[in-house]
Amino acid sequence: MTAVTGEAPATGSGVLGQPLDSREDPQLLRGEATYVADIDLPGTAHMAILGSPVAHARILSIETKAAEQLPGVLKVATAADFTDVMPLPCIWIPGGVESHFPPHPYGLPGARPVLTGDTVRHVGDPIAVVVAETPRQATAALAAISVEYEPLPVVTRADEALAEGAPQLHEAVPGNLNAYWTCGDKDRTDAAIAAAEVTVELDLVNQRTINSPIEPRGAVGDYNPVTGEYTLYATTQGPHNHRFLLSALVLGIPFNKLRVIAPTVGGSFGTKGYLYPDMPLVLLLSKALGRPVKWVDTRTGLMNSTVQGRDHRQHVTLAGTRDGRITAVRCTSYANLGAYPSTIGPGVATALMGRSISGMYDIDAAFCEVYAAFTNTVPLGAQRGSGRAEAAFLMERLVDRYAGEIGMDPAAVRRKNLVPKEKFPYDNGLGWTYDSGDYRLNFDKAVELSGYADMPARKAEARTRGKRLGVGLATYVAICGVGPSTRMSQEGMLGGTWESANIRVHPTGEVTVIVGSASTGQSHGTVFAQVAADELGIDPDTVQVLEGDTQKAPYGQGTYGSRSYSMAAPAVALTARKIKSKLIRAGAVFLGIPEDKVVYAGGGVHEEGNEQNAKTFAELAMSMWYGWGLPAEIEPALDETTHFDPPEFNYPFGTHVAVVEIDELTGETEVVAYTAVDDAGHIGNPKIVLGQIEGSITHGLGQALMEAAVYDEQGLLISSDLTTYALPRAADVPFFTLDKTVTPSPNNPLGAKGAGEIATVPPAAAVVNAVVDALADLGVQHIDMPLTPEKVWRRLRGEAQ
Amino acid sequence: MNGRPEQFSAQPNELLVERLRDGLGLTGTKVGCDTGQCGTCVVRLDGRSVKSCLVLTASAAGGEVATIEGETTRGGELSGLQEALRQEHGTQCGFCTPGMVMALGELVENTADREAPTEPEIREWLTGNLCRCTGYHSVVRGVQRACATARSAAGQEV
Ligand code: FES
Ligand code: FES
Repeated sequence: MTAVTGEAPATGSGVLGQPLDSREDPQLLRGEATYVADIDLPGTAHMAILGSPVAHARILSIETKAAEQLPGVLKVATAADFTDVMPLPCIWIPGGVESHFPPHPYGLPGARPVLTGDTVRHVGDPIAVVVAETPRQATAALAAISVEYEPLPVVTRADEALAEGAPQLHEAVPGNLNAYWTCGDKDRTDAAIAAAEVTVELDLVNQRTINSPIEPRGAVGDYNPVTGEYTLYATTQGPHNHRFLLSALVLGIPFNKLRVIAPTVGGSFGTKGYLYPDMPLVLLLSKALGRPVKWVDTRTGLMNSTVQGRDHRQHVTLAGTRDGRITAVRCTSYANLGAYPSTIGPGVATALMGRSISGMYDIDAAFCEVYAAFTNTVPLGAQRGSGRAEAAFLMERLVDRYAGEIGMDPAAVRRKNLVPKEKFPYDNGLGWTYDSGDYRLNFDKAVELSGYADMPARKAEARTRGKRLGVGLATYVAICGVGPSTRMSQEGMLGGTWESANIRVHPTGEVTVIVGSASTGQSHGTVFAQVAADELGIDPDTVQVLEGDTQKAPYGQGTYGSRSYSMAAPAVALTARKIKSKLIRAGAVFLGIPEDKVVYAGGGVHEEGNEQNAKTFAELAMSMWYGWGLPAEIEPALDETTHFDPPEFNYPFGTHVAVVEIDELTGETEVVAYTAVDDAGHIGNPKIVLGQIEGSITHGLGQALMEAAVYDEQGLLISSDLTTYALPRAADVPFFTLDKTVTPSPNNPLGAKGAGEIATVPPAAAVVNAVVDALADLGVQHIDMPLTPEKVWRRLRGEAQ
Repeated sequence: MNGRPEQFSAQPNELLVERLRDGLGLTGTKVGCDTGQCGTCVVRLDGRSVKSCLVLTASAAGGEVATIEGETTRGGELSGLQEALRQEHGTQCGFCTPGMVMALGELVENTADREAPTEPEIREWLTGNLCRCTGYHSVVRGVQRACATARSAAGQEV
């Protein structure tokens, strides 16, 4: 990661932008961090959940007596025990569309009850819970609950769910259509396509995948009968958000009666920001039993209950001129929301995907329509790169198809259509206004670095070894920095999306930064300390960072959509600036000079031109703690808070190049080289971002090559554990070649753009483009993911898709 | 257990990972799957790395079990492998990390008197451990670094 092309941020102590070691790592490496499963409160009872074994059925009866009699069982509960609990709400319904869903008491669309009492709608739909003395006793008792089902017909595909006569999931949602959502200009796009010199079309399946954080979800509920307060320890990427949703919207208890704590969380990638039935259940059962109640999911449980990702079936069209100028793009997508609208799933499947489809290209006419439908599958949610990965996939497949059609090099077509630097801020005609970028610089760098020009020679060489080499390009723009709260409200988001930070300077000069965000492995403690230390001009080792406990931290929305560094870090920086400006005002008093003669440097203040008349940071901190001699307009102590709501989103972007080799005999695809040049604006800690980029690309390669959530005709999830759901392993990936460009975002004081997940956006497109390139002489124009050896082997032998 | 004798009676169907986590409070060893696929539960049994979710406690009787807690004292100095992983930022959420450290220890220890493992060998060694955060790159670099350090300490060419 070298070659910075933008300006460096203004630095105080110069620690921002440095690859400092993660201060979280030593504890993790020693196995000393506490995850939810490691929490062991005195007197804890253990909960297990009975999920539906069938995908669609009416429940005729539930018999729990036998289970209640088993050793160690403390309680068996069904929907009948929770009639006064509100349904879990969906808070992101696509903007501008009616939700067609039974309302929640607060006027929100109610997504699902805590337990299902009448009709189950997917395998894993929770029906009953057991609480027992040990986890084994709880799990064993599930088998003793007998449920009588009346089977109902099943549908698992979005397009089929919308067809005439399809099984109906919800009475209130006729035809299973949750939303018909559009963006862009339909008439203009249709006209451009009708008038075009060249049009190409593709039918794409962006298969459903399972995020698979290595730590399954878990929750511990602890009700205190003396204070009437509930504490929830949970695998959450947004403790404040869960507190808001659970207290006000589900349990109906006062906000200040619920404390949510995120201990160390073992990865999330989008899944742990959602509301799940287990969260209210452990709280309610803790109250009922007078003991802490703990639930830890299994891998199979996770696969059948935690939100899944992607899942679009699309018909896409691109129009252009014979000489390579793209004039229009159009997408019709059938999005599979699963059995219930998850907390924000419908928004992910529509706005995040649709508004992003034109990517890095300057296209005159674009239109996207999404039919978001309910089916008998696990609810859909976010997944690393969500929405944006689906968008990049369709666009980048289309560009290659178009290049093939007009006989032009795919790199040349892309280069010709990139949004030029002068056009920023750039309105993409689909609802996003890109903040900044130098796309050509980025693109050229990636093409050059990948050795693109040498590919013909490498292809010929590979053939001598029985391999077919292919090269695939993919570019992307990933909207990040959610977000401007008002703008998000226009997208249908029911809630603020700002972020916050509090900084407290202790009398001895050490500093505590407390943020509303919460890490799921992003080394927040390291990076936010760098931000504060840099602004204040102090040593980062004196800065402590706290987060993840709603009783301690200021409000915030959490970590999702690569927002922590461009949302929470600016809140830290702005708060540090408040501290600094207060120290300058107070410093004038302490030094006995006018304010405009005060110089702030190295954390302390001194008189301009007289460094003897000075106070160090520690001296200032102590003086502020005493508060002696301060005029009335300067309050004692140093304790400031900022809530940062940006004026606009930010838009990281980049170019990836995949080189694959396909074994002629086995059809196996190996990624032999991978080059990525990403632009995330100014980066706080390149070492940490490097790790996130490497992980993200690997995740994207997983979708291209091996990952798929497979449901059978009965709606049974076949790929329900890690023997049947393939995740990339160490031997599946090579080292990557990585570089960056830097175009700062004007929409936050750090010039930052989202970084964590952005590199998950293009790899699937790059790899499929590479494989299609390798098979082009066989007339192959597209292969659906995942590109399993069998699928490729069949195409090598001339079989149709 | 980590060099200390432990005496207890176990149910015949009790898994070693259950004994470690629930019985002995050694929660550094993690559970990530139900099928022996993820490697978060790897410990060393008589010096060899094993998936403790696939080992019955009773079958480990009389054996020497080493867990992540035995690698260092609480808050203590990192081992060579841990230090190398720290320098390469080989851990993000850290859930896979104890299992990786236990699985990789054998590989790194053997490097002092043999050839250093190649990159494909390291990747092969790691196939029993899943990591969703890092994509393994920093872990592989960490192992390379740890091997280099171990070899130079043993007077080998790096
Ligand atoms: S928990 Fe043992 S391999 Fe996954
Ligand atoms: S660091 Fe999160 S799974 Fe490996």
